[in-house]
Amino acid sequence: MNGCKYIRERIDEADNPNLLPFEVAEHIAECQDCGRFAVERSGLRALLSGGTRVNAPVNFDAMLNARLAEVKSRSSFWWLGSVGYARIATATAAVVVMVFAAQFSGLFSTKTAVPTSEPPIALVPDAPTHVPSVRPPEVSIASVPVVPRSNRGYTNAARPRRDAMAASASVPIGYFTAEDGGVVLVRGRNGDIDVPVPTVSVGAQPLLYVSAGQRTVRNVGSSF
Amino acid sequence: MAAVTHQAQAIELGGSRSVEAASDHELLAAIRDGDEVAFQEIVRRYRNPITNFVYRMIDDYDRSVELAQETFIRVYTSASRYQANYSFSTYIYRIATNLAISELRRRKRRKTISLFSPFTNDDGDAVEIDPPDLNTLQDETMIENERRRAVARAITSLPQKYRAAIVLRDVEGLSYDQIAQTLNLSEGTVKSRINRARNLLKEKLSAYI
Repeated sequence: MNGCKYIRERIDEADNPNLLPFEVAEHIAECQDCGRFAVERSGLRALLSGGTRVNAPVNFDAMLNARLAEVKSRSSFWWLGSVGYARIATATAAVVVMVFAAQFSGLFSTKTAVPTSEPPIALVPDAPTHVPSVRPPEVSIASVPVVPRSNRGYTNAARPRRDAMAASASVPIGYFTAEDGGVVLVRGRNGDIDVPVPTVSVGAQPLLYVSAGQRTVRNVGSSF
Repeated sequence: MAAVTHQAQAIELGGSRSVEAASDHELLAAIRDGDEVAFQEIVRRYRNPITNFVYRMIDDYDRSVELAQETFIRVYTSASRYQANYSFSTYIYRIATNLAISELRRRKRRKTISLFSPFTNDDGDAVEIDPPDLNTLQDETMIENERRRAVARAITSLPQKYRAAIVLRDVEGLSYDQIAQTLNLSEGTVKSRINRARNLLKEKLSAYI
């Protein structure tokens, strides 16, 4: 005699719950639990399949044909869309490659080289660790000495406007005025370091990181 | 099942054979050749079953009509890629099932809360509160309507993975083999899901069985 689990599986799998195989019918005639299970399953399946079926609306075909016509009209220009997307993708990829290439080649680089010689520079010597409450004496920008441009660590070609400005302001060509940068305070050490100062916006103060031990200067941002 | 050669099945509609007599595979071959009449015949054969199936899945008639139309549009646009390795009904039910499941997922993301199912189970599926009404209904139509709504709510409250299987089996009457192909599952998994779905439905619909 087959087990109840097997019989219930056969009841579940039957295509017609009212036409069960002989071995199942034989079993449920003797097993009340399986008989009850068969009745429940039959009632449930009748309930699920016996409900009113919904049909498509009468204008189903007309609506479908309208949508299909729209799809067809769209699909007739598929080549335009695909080529257009391909062009945009290609152009975007080209721009990305160019930007990366320019960055790696140093075109946009703002790095400054460490000078080999030690040129004179205007630095405030030995800034005190404790700032006195008295107001520091005002220093005229014009009084800040100029620094030879040849010692700045970057080429003149990168700054063509500086030459023009210097020439028009009666500053010798190749020299660097105080307007090009700001005052650099080096705490605890007075070294003769060439501090190339990047161009900043009007009113901004460049923030520099000065490693006196290694004699390197790095621009870390601007402060307004 | 042996693959059917489309070329051999291509028919000339308007010739000696009528469209009604053509098999689904023959009609698909004709659709691929641009025959609109063949497509209309496919629509005529399947519009009601597909609409009913999607309706039972999502319990929204207007949306089920839209999804049924979308099903036919996909059949039309992908007719050239159709491979007659199994029956066309399996193929079209698979498209409809995928659309219905996508719709259910979209609704789930929207977090709509039904008044009948404000809570969810561990799977995140809605758990319906459907206390049996023990009062006697006087009108036969009301009883039938109430029964139909109860069945619809019970099916809708089933977890998604059970819903498609039970609707295909007990509402649409597909075989286990067809359901397995439609849902891309093994036959054993389909049997297990249907059994589990029936056990859940039995609890929800005990008052009507």
